[in-house]
Amino acid sequence: MNFDDHQTAGQDAPSAAKTTASERDLAALVQREYKEGFVTDIDADTLPPGLDEGVIRAISERKEEPEFMLKWRLDAYQKWLKMPQPKWAHVQHPPIDYQAISYYSAPKQKELLDSLDQVDPKLLETYEKLGIPLDEQKALAGVKVAVDAVFDSVSVATTFKKTLSEAGVLFCSFSEAVREHPELVQRHLGSVVPAGDNFYAALNSAVFSDGSFVYIPRGVRCPMELSTYFRINAMNTGQFERTLIVAEEDSHVSYLEGCTAPMRDENQLHAAVVELVAMKGAQIKYSTVQNWYPGDENGRGGIYNFVTKRGACRGERAKISWTQVETGSAITWKYPSVLLEGDNSVGEFYSVALTNNCQQADTGTKMVHIGKNTGSTIISKGISAGRGQNAYRGLVKVLAGADGARNYSQCDSLLMGDRCGAHTFPYMEIKNPTAVVEHEATTSRIGEDQLFYCRQRGLSEEDAVSMIVNGFCKEVFKELPMEFAVEAQKLLGISLEGSVG
Amino acid sequence: MTAGAVEHYLAQHRKIAGALPGRGLGWLQERRRAGLARLKEVGFPTQRDEDWKYTSTRPLTAKPFRDVGAPAAADETLAKKIRALSPEGLRSRQLVFIDGLFAPQLSDAGADTKGGATLMPLARVLEERPESVEHAFGALAPRKPHGFTALNCAGARDGAVVLLEKDAAPEEPLELLFVTSAEDAFAQPRNLILAAPGCKASVIERHVSLGEHASFTNSASEILLGESANVDYHLVQTQRDSARHVCGIWARQERGSRLRCISATLGGAFVRNDLGVELAGEDAHCDMLGFYAATGAQHVDNHTAVLHSAPHCGSREVYKGVLDGRARAVFHGRITVAPGAQKTAAEQSNQNLLLSRHAEIDCKPQLEIYADDVRCSHGATAGQLDEAALFYLRSRGIGEARARELLTFAFVNEVAGEIQIAALKGALESLLARRLAR
Repeated sequence: MNFDDHQTAGQDAPSAAKTTASERDLAALVQREYKEGFVTDIDADTLPPGLDEGVIRAISERKEEPEFMLKWRLDAYQKWLKMPQPKWAHVQHPPIDYQAISYYSAPKQKELLDSLDQVDPKLLETYEKLGIPLDEQKALAGVKVAVDAVFDSVSVATTFKKTLSEAGVLFCSFSEAVREHPELVQRHLGSVVPAGDNFYAALNSAVFSDGSFVYIPRGVRCPMELSTYFRINAMNTGQFERTLIVAEEDSHVSYLEGCTAPMRDENQLHAAVVELVAMKGAQIKYSTVQNWYPGDENGRGGIYNFVTKRGACRGERAKISWTQVETGSAITWKYPSVLLEGDNSVGEFYSVALTNNCQQADTGTKMVHIGKNTGSTIISKGISAGRGQNAYRGLVKVLAGADGARNYSQCDSLLMGDRCGAHTFPYMEIKNPTAVVEHEATTSRIGEDQLFYCRQRGLSEEDAVSMIVNGFCKEVFKELPMEFAVEAQKLLGISLEGSVG
Repeated sequence: MTAGAVEHYLAQHRKIAGALPGRGLGWLQERRRAGLARLKEVGFPTQRDEDWKYTSTRPLTAKPFRDVGAPAAADETLAKKIRALSPEGLRSRQLVFIDGLFAPQLSDAGADTKGGATLMPLARVLEERPESVEHAFGALAPRKPHGFTALNCAGARDGAVVLLEKDAAPEEPLELLFVTSAEDAFAQPRNLILAAPGCKASVIERHVSLGEHASFTNSASEILLGESANVDYHLVQTQRDSARHVCGIWARQERGSRLRCISATLGGAFVRNDLGVELAGEDAHCDMLGFYAATGAQHVDNHTAVLHSAPHCGSREVYKGVLDGRARAVFHGRITVAPGAQKTAAEQSNQNLLLSRHAEIDCKPQLEIYADDVRCSHGATAGQLDEAALFYLRSRGIGEARARELLTFAFVNEVAGEIQIAALKGALESLLARRLAR
């Protein structure tokens, strides 16, 4: 027997020869087109592939950044050069050639935009196709959500700016924030995720091209949901965006993030960094529906989604809540974390991660309890189908001074098919005797009794599975803003269609 | 740091290489060479190794422990001292090893075979009947072991061999007693338990120390269970608080076999237990139970792994611990379900009580599942005593200190209570109560 090799067990397991009717359905349905997989033909200003100091200077220059930004980027680059690519995650991929990626691609636009009318209609069309209304008129008719749209490397439009500025909320692209509010950016950038935090964060810090910036002043409750929509369009580019949300004392904001990319045979790299800063009594709710192109059924193409997300509860009673629905990407590698620094601060992590075909996900969270009476909740639901590999990896750390810390973690995995894998790697480090930390994890497949019950009530197998899976994920979906929850349920249904068996 | 230590133990190894038993056996020398090569390749683990993330090997490498050779003449006083360390009323067949070498005068004399069970020192087996262990020696331990296991494979001078015949059912427990005695002694026992189909036996692997001397025991045991074999294995660590122990136990279970491994860690300054079980045949079942009560500056690391490689197997793992003083405990538990191991039922739980501000628990349960028709779960907790239970006891007139003691004892004793040998259970329970009371 060998206890060293099981990490890779199951990668090339012989598949059972039996083919049931439902498996044939699966074969037919997984070939469903990725409906966001189109390419927009648009002129772009793209830097040639490769990475060196010159490229970083070029990015900084194109964005007309102040000196401190360039210095910060170059420092990060120096740190990145010294870092090895991490290998600990439960994922497998060929080595990434960082010199073959183009680090900057922007749709060509004439001048600075004052209103949406000046946005290239082709871009608006793209977002239209994706179902993201950038047109404020239309948006008003439906739900009120302010959107910042990021196309390849740059932000193309931000809606509802006026309404927001009346409330004192700053919501703009990162580049604009660097130009207009450099003091805010300088104060908070890298304060939660330092430039040299990890390999991908360092790479992002060196080359990030855009992203969203949110600032909620003291005591303000953001009048609407804020949203960023990320789109990778150009070929051979990496998307490196950076999001920074600062919520001052007793403010409140809910932020949504969505992502798609065209279908391509090559793998594309997406290495983003998200930093959240919540001051005393502030609340930040960050929701993600990630639907990057997952690659085809044989694992060709797809996005490598290597993301660093972290929030800091700086003051007492601050609260940061992460909710994520991860259905896309060939490989997902992300651990939205919370540093619970203030007393009585709260961190939450709700996640649904689905892997189908050859997708791999290694995702989870870190909750670091520093202040007294801090609380954290982790609910993670993993669904594996096809040959998907899904791993939860999490850390709950209670420092010696965190009296009365409380954590509850629950990780459930659902297996659909005998060639997929579900894994759980939780870590607990407890240095305080007054802490109460609980972790529970289960792995199973859909109960035959549950299925039978639904079938004998006249539901088709497909509908029954979809219902049971949605029930499995309900605890997480109920944390999503309403319109996102509906979207997430649909997405899950589509991603899973036919995976019965 | 570890390079120097590796060099030290290689030098120790060179000293005793000429005295190793069974040097005429090609297969054995080959496995020893492989162990040595592995040690030279990987060295001793550091905290950069994921499996040793929370355990520093400094207590093992900072002091030059050495092979002390044959024990002093085993006289009646020594025998008495050792008997004093045995659980009262425990009737067992015993093999005794002092500082890693067999002590024939202290061991049970008479026929080696009784009730279908043969109990012999490894050195003698290798001289007289090496064919009976060739298939198992080094076959169950990891193929890519850490440095300590590799060192044991290369340089174990002796150990215990238990051969259980088909359908054997020895009445008395078979006890393997390892005593550390000399100052800075380095002992490397290697044990083999080969259970033929249908047998049923209880084995006790017990580690004790004579005197306060620091010592380092690097033990490795391999257990092979044939079809429907049934083995209760007890690992009992009650050494003094100056002893260091790296312990490996690896088992493979064939169809329908049943293994209960109970590990009690109540002593030792530094204890690392590696326990690996493979359920290789259908309908096999294993229980992995463990408890630890650490205080002072003790470090207890339980590293367990169960591999379900056949369908319809079950595993249950329960580890409970209490930590006081500046003690630190680590629990790592991995359940792996290989492709095709359908209908697996695996559960694991690790619960910890922290009694002091300076104690620490690091816990790492893992599930790796590659089959879909399975039920696997794990749970891990760290916390305090239930305030309501405490209040209940106090409302019945029991003082707070005593109430806490009772509840703490009951918490750990849930596992200790599963020991089937009454004398051993009683002895461990009272030792546990004494440790918790001080």
